[in-house]
Formats: sequence, C-alpha cells, structure tokens
Amino acid sequence: MGDREGGLPKELRELGRRLPVPDVDGGTMAERVLAQLLAERVPPPAPPPRRLAWLRDRWKRLLAAFSGLLVVLVLTPPVRAGVVEWLGFGGVDVRYEPGARPAPGAPVPGCPAGGPGLSVAEAGRRAGFTPVLPRALGAPDAVTVTGAGPRAVVGLCWRAGEGSVVRLDVFPGSLDLGFAKSVRSPPQGVALPDGTEAYWFARPHLLTFPLTDPAGGSWTASTRTAGPTLLWTGNGGALTLRLEGVADRAEAIRIAGSVP
Amino acid sequence: MWEPIPDCRCIRGVRTREESRQGARGGSPEGSGDGSRAGSRRESGEGGVVEDEAAVIARVRAGEAEAYAELVRAHTGVALRAAVACGAGADAEDVVQQAFFKAYRSLGRFKEGASFRPWLLSIVANETRNTLRSAGRQRAVAGREAELLAGEPLIPEGADPAVAAEELERRRQLLAALDALGEEHRLVVVHRYLLELDEGETAAALGWPRGTVKSRLSRALKKLGARLPEEGGEEHG
Repeated sequence: MGDREGGLPKELRELGRRLPVPDVDGGTMAERVLAQLLAERVPPPAPPPRRLAWLRDRWKRLLAAFSGLLVVLVLTPPVRAGVVEWLGFGGVDVRYEPGARPAPGAPVPGCPAGGPGLSVAEAGRRAGFTPVLPRALGAPDAVTVTGAGPRAVVGLCWRAGEGSVVRLDVFPGSLDLGFAKSVRSPPQGVALPDGTEAYWFARPHLLTFPLTDPAGGSWTASTRTAGPTLLWTGNGGALTLRLEGVADRAEAIRIAGSVP
Repeated sequence: MWEPIPDCRCIRGVRTREESRQGARGGSPEGSGDGSRAGSRRESGEGGVVEDEAAVIARVRAGEAEAYAELVRAHTGVALRAAVACGAGADAEDVVQQAFFKAYRSLGRFKEGASFRPWLLSIVANETRNTLRSAGRQRAVAGREAELLAGEPLIPEGADPAVAAEELERRRQLLAALDALGEEHRLVVVHRYLLELDEGETAAALGWPRGTVKSRLSRALKKLGARLPEEGGEEHG
C-alpha cells in the first residue's frame, strides 16, 4: 500500500503532462493578450486606484491600528466582504466600501432629553480630556460622555430648530479604535482656516461607533447612517472631532474654524 | 470597478483576491527537496521562467503593458493545462486568453509578494466554468474522458503495442478514479499533481489553509489508491 501511494503522485504528474493541451506557445498567447489589451484600451492596473491615493499617506497609522481594526471586522461581519481600502484619520477609520448602503434621509440622532445633564467641564473630567467648543455654535444643549479611558467620547449636541440637530463628537485622537466610517466615495480633503487638514464627507455614509457597558469595560460596535460630516483633529492631533448635521461644507468649515 | 470572480464549480472555493498567507512563501514541494525557490527566480513548471516576478508585476503596474508578455509567456503552458483539466476542451485557448486579460485588469489588486501562478490558475478555473456555462456545454463525463485521453501519444514509434494499450488503460483508470472522487479531493489532486503546484501554491489557488491541503491530499490519495487496480492488472484486494 505504501508502495502504491508512493507511485501515485508520479503517475498523476505524468497524467497532467499528457493532457491534450492546445498547441499555443507563450509568445503567441502574449501577442494575443497584448493585442486585446490594446484593442480594448485597458488602462494600466495601477495600485491602489488613483482616487484612493489619499489613503496612502495614512498607511502607517493604519498599520498601528491593525489590531483594533480586526476587532471591528469581527464585530461588523456584514461590512467585511466589501471592504477594499481604508484609512485611519485621528481616531476614525474610514473604509472605502462601494457596497455600503446608507439609509437615505437618516436624521442626526436627537439630543438626549432632559437638559444638559452634564456640564462641559464635568464631561471633560469623566472623559479624561478637555473637550473643545466651537464658538460659532455657543453653549451646547446637551453633553454626554460614552466610554471611558482612551475610548471616551464627549458628545456635544445642539438643537438647530425644526427638529434638526448638530452634533460634535470629540475624542482622543489616539490609535485606539473608536469610530469607523464606510464610504462609497472618498471624502474630500479640505483645509480649515488655520491650515489644519480636514475631511469632508458630503454623502451619507455608514458610521460605526462604539458602545461600552456602564463600567466602560467591554464594548461592542453599532452602526448607523451618518449624513454630511466634517472630520478633523485638534490640539495638535491629540483630539479627533467630527461634526455632523451641518449640510453646507463652507458652514461646517467655519464652525470648525471657530474651535479655539 | 471591482469585479468579483464567483466560485467555480470545477474549482469550488477558489478565491481570487485573498492569496492565503502561505501562498506568498511558495513553500517546499514535498519530495523534491527544493525549498529555496521563493526568491526572485520563479519557475512556472512549464519550462517558463520569470526573472524577478515581483519586479515584472511592478513594471506592468507602472504602465509598461509590454512587460506583461513575460508573465503570459511563462504561464501559458500551465494555464492551458488547468483549463483542460477543468474541462475547457476546445475552448481552452480562448479561456486562457480571457483569463490573462482579466488577470491584467485585476493586477492592481494583486497582493504584492504573492505568487502569480496560483492566482492566475484560480482565474482560469473560474473562466473555464463561466465559458462552459454560458455556452451550455457541460461535457458528459465520458466525453471529457475521451478528450483527455486523446493527449500526446505516449508510445514512441516502434514500441510494443501491448504495452501502449496497457498504459492507455492505466490512464483511463486513473481518470475514472479521479472523476469518482468528491469535488474537494479531486481539486486538490488536480492542483497539486496534474498542475504540479507545490503545497503553498495549491493552498493559494484553492483558498484553503495549508493544513487542509495536506489532509485532503492524503485522504484523496488513499481513496484513489483504493479505487485503482494494482499495477499490472491485478485487482487490488
């Protein structure tokens, strides 16, 4: 039996070599393929696709965040299949995902009922960092803290009238994974008045955000559709900020520029 | 812009985007003792050699389409064999041309450092399946076998016709035993032996972990052995 098995691989290789293969040599095939490429005007297969070139310079941060990314991949399996590329910007991971299906017309989540609840200063104490406030928006209608430690997020909320809401999420711009955005078209790189680089997400996209248990320990991710959003970093990169609910790009940039 | 290549019936479970981790390293083909080929020189197993495959791919990506000819030349033989083994028959030429064309278009997403051949072969397998399906031409097993047996005559002129007949019969038995295997077992045998991929490449082409390749291969060989009569015509007990 051992003998028989020893001979079988050899026989099978022989069988493979004797398969009746069409008589086309590599040179002829190469000519045909190149002619077809020329005829169909196929562009060079340059990696990565040019419209995602903005991803490239984020690569290092992305690698550092790798373990965190894996966590989110596990937590959001449906997102997995279509993920093609992503970048980490501040504390947010942006994924290029042509298959993402954001819900149309999804509203910005409302401010928590029951008044401000927390003062900005108290929220800062709980979160472990000092949140910043855009002067252009004035005092927030509600302040919340979710998560703890490096994953703490301070949420500032303004009721802008007619039921619309403006939200600013502020969190440490560490590599610790907090938010992930799945986009179908890349965000637009913009500059804030002081030259800080920012990204404008004009179209609705999926936002994955962390939910922690009350003790701030274990956490899971939840996903919702987010509308137009401006994303930038503050305090020399120490904080990540995302402003949602301002549909006009110039206005969003103006608000971001009013952050001291 | 990203066109997923669906699984192939012939090569079920083929994944084209994810070269398995092992695939990139090439691995050492069992028995041959040659574990050092993962370097810049890449043999195609068909006599074709690409000096520094990664560099050629980089040139293609940089816009030098002509460099792609090197890859095509080196891998045409094995690609044709794969198409035939998957049942492409008379369509093998067209299938392979189309597979090279598609591989070029997808080359931007080809994982750097991975081996081109298993990736190409998974595309060939899918293309074969698509061609057969679109033409509504699934060949009957018997017909396929006849086609496969029509290969290169193995009898040198003047050889003993009795020996030749015996060898032909042996190939027929082998093919029949292969066809009788379950899909996964057949696939692993075809890739590993008929196409002469090494273990890592087989894993990459099929999208299976290397351990799975190993275990399925050994089980497939056992089954094959049990189905074949002993060489020389005696029934295997």
